[in-house]
Amino acid sequence: MDGIMGMFLAILAAAVATVFAGIGSAKGVGSAAQTAMGVLSEDSSKFGKMLVLTLLPGTQGLYGFIVGFLVLTSCGVLGGDMPTLGQGFAFLAASFAIGFGGMISGFAQGKAAVSGITMTAKDEKNFSKAMVSITLVEIYALLAFIVSLLVVISVPNLKF
Amino acid sequence: MKSVRIIALRKDRKRLLEHLQDSALVMVQKGRKEEKGFTRLDTSAQIKQFERNAELTEQALKILGKVEPEKKGMLASFKGRKEIDPDEIGRIASDSAKVIGICQKICKLDKQRADYAAEQVRIKTALAQLEPWKKLDIPLNTKDTATTAVLIGTLPRLYDDTTLSEALAGECPELLFEFEILYSSSNLTCLTLFTPKKQREMAEKALRTFGFSQPLNPTSRTPAVKTEHLLDKSEEIARKDEDAKNDIASFAKYRENICETQDYFNLRAEKYQVIAELDQTKHVFVLNGYVPEEDCSKLEAVCSKVPSCVVEFEDAGEDAPVKLKNNKFAEPAQSIVTMYSTPSHGDIDPTPILAFFFYFFFGMMFSDAGYGLLLIIGTAIAIKVFKPDKRMRNNLKLFQYCGVATVFWGLVFGSIFGDAPLMFYKMFTGDDSIKTMQQLLPWPTLDTQKDALMIMIMSIGLGLAHILVGMGCKFYICIKNKEYTKAFFDTGLWMLMLAGFAVLAVGMATSQVVLYIGAGIAAASAVGLVLTQGRGKKGIFGKLIGGVASLYDITSYISDLLSYSRLLALGLTTGVMAQVFNMLSNLFGTSVFGIICMILIFVAGHAITIGLNALGSYVHTMRLQYVEMFSKFYEGGGKPFEPFSTKSKYFRTKGSNDD
Repeated sequence: MDGIMGMFLAILAAAVATVFAGIGSAKGVGSAAQTAMGVLSEDSSKFGKMLVLTLLPGTQGLYGFIVGFLVLTSCGVLGGDMPTLGQGFAFLAASFAIGFGGMISGFAQGKAAVSGITMTAKDEKNFSKAMVSITLVEIYALLAFIVSLLVVISVPNLKF
Repeated sequence: MKSVRIIALRKDRKRLLEHLQDSALVMVQKGRKEEKGFTRLDTSAQIKQFERNAELTEQALKILGKVEPEKKGMLASFKGRKEIDPDEIGRIASDSAKVIGICQKICKLDKQRADYAAEQVRIKTALAQLEPWKKLDIPLNTKDTATTAVLIGTLPRLYDDTTLSEALAGECPELLFEFEILYSSSNLTCLTLFTPKKQREMAEKALRTFGFSQPLNPTSRTPAVKTEHLLDKSEEIARKDEDAKNDIASFAKYRENICETQDYFNLRAEKYQVIAELDQTKHVFVLNGYVPEEDCSKLEAVCSKVPSCVVEFEDAGEDAPVKLKNNKFAEPAQSIVTMYSTPSHGDIDPTPILAFFFYFFFGMMFSDAGYGLLLIIGTAIAIKVFKPDKRMRNNLKLFQYCGVATVFWGLVFGSIFGDAPLMFYKMFTGDDSIKTMQQLLPWPTLDTQKDALMIMIMSIGLGLAHILVGMGCKFYICIKNKEYTKAFFDTGLWMLMLAGFAVLAVGMATSQVVLYIGAGIAAASAVGLVLTQGRGKKGIFGKLIGGVASLYDITSYISDLLSYSRLLALGLTTGVMAQVFNMLSNLFGTSVFGIICMILIFVAGHAITIGLNALGSYVHTMRLQYVEMFSKFYEGGGKPFEPFSTKSKYFRTKGSNDD
């Protein structure tokens, strides 16, 4: 029973990491894409720059996915051993970091991306400034990701 | 950079300026007041004329593009400008009047088409208005006969025969009427009503209480005839529109001429802008400008083609423009520097340092030998096939060098299209004894997933090196400007402190002695900072508090260093995504169908991975340079060197220096 519960918790962890971080990115990229399309309807030659700015809030979803994937590869679904109950809880706890860190920072980065896109639409010279400013938000998703990652890779060695 | 003064006879002006424009060596000083005794020529009228013409060609090209899109390959944007012989410019000039005429025709035809489109909308509205009257077989403006009044109009509600006769009878019992309902819907009823002529007013009054109104634009033809007439008209306009469209399309063969003409007018506008900046007397003119030091002799050679010409060089002042000059390795990264800001005179050119770290970090984030190889080969082919202009060529080179670093890191991390070699090995040999790429590859590798902690420490170590190099630049600049206190106290002590922490970290992993040395260095530099950082403040307490408060800056250094953990994060992202797609492509077994699926998923999946991660690596490398390193020393704000050149969009003259 413990094994099944551990497995369940591990899969739940993968879901939490992937889904919540994905929500953040989906919303962020979505609003950025809407604005970018508005700009492109006026001037389609800006597509390259708009694409870069639009995709910036997309990394959170990737981070979440990676944590989810690493959990799956070490909990018996895609390799590894079946986790104990304690390991299952550890996976779940770890996934909250990137799940929620990714979600909220995805929202915030999406907003920043929208402003960056309007700024670039006014004057293309602003592109690099916009890009750098948007990536400032990224560090918080990154920190959350690192925390999740460090826990997830060490869980299989934990004995409890 | 030198400032240069070129003096020549006025009769040679045209020739000299053409040479200068072709050679693209000189940047003309703009917005300078004329010197005493000289006059300026007002060329604004000509410039306006040229710009108008250029605009006209641009408009014509846009119209042509809409009517008959140019067939361009997806990769055409890599392509360089067409090379033409310098003599060709004469031909373009003599053709320009004709080409402008064509452009005007195109614009006129386009305007006609706009009018046609508006007319079509009008017809459509009229048709929609006539629609409910379709059943009416007398004209809408039929007059009364000798004895009978005819009322044609609409009521804003739904009626049928019974409800309407009841309503009318109720409103006005003595009214004699006969009506026909032609159309009825929930908010509109069209009807004709007949009534004895002497009861007309009564009928009108009764109807008006129900909101009766007569149709707009009544005509003398029956609605059916009118509709047909309008449809004919619409068809005719459509035909005319088609003709106009074909006429425009027939000009598509002149597209290249129009492009050339646009360049020609832009080129002349540029030249006349320069002429407006010349100091002139009756016979002589003077051009003030800047020229890079290494190009001085070239400029002299160009000017010597005009015998009357005299060239004087002088050292340029503080406000001179800046031209970056780098070797082949660093040159592609110049665009990254200028995208941030052109260096000012107080700065050093950060391009070589930036170039190295840019390639290095990009490689670490993209970190896949297969992708790196694709980058190298792809860019090499693009450079070879399309012969792009210098700007594009440099951009391609940038990614080529990044590709080299990517291959390096890919081999370090044991990633070649993710774990594709392992997958194929297992698939074709059925040998399950080898579990990881590490076992398969003959050289020692790091596993991004298993050794993540180790790679993170490595990332932060590289970050420390990056930041220290940035601070080293600041140190060097301060020494160069003889600001020794700034150099040693503001920069040197912090560098020492960071180095101390690094030694301390190494000591934690190795030996106590090293740890104590590191701690000692860090503590000593902290004391140094406390003693020196408050030196601008007044009073002993002010100085002390200022010094202690400065230690708070350590937080910004820590956050800078942590920021380098993205090197790990993005490297891991690439590896994991590649691995996932490999896994997906492997799901369908080794049947023929399975192999086809495998190829499709493999190609598409890796294309997605490359797209997303190349973009991510590019953006985040740039951020590391701009935010973490440039903030340590780089000020920017210089004026870029923009030489007087042809600035053409579509052609470049053979042998010209303009690129």
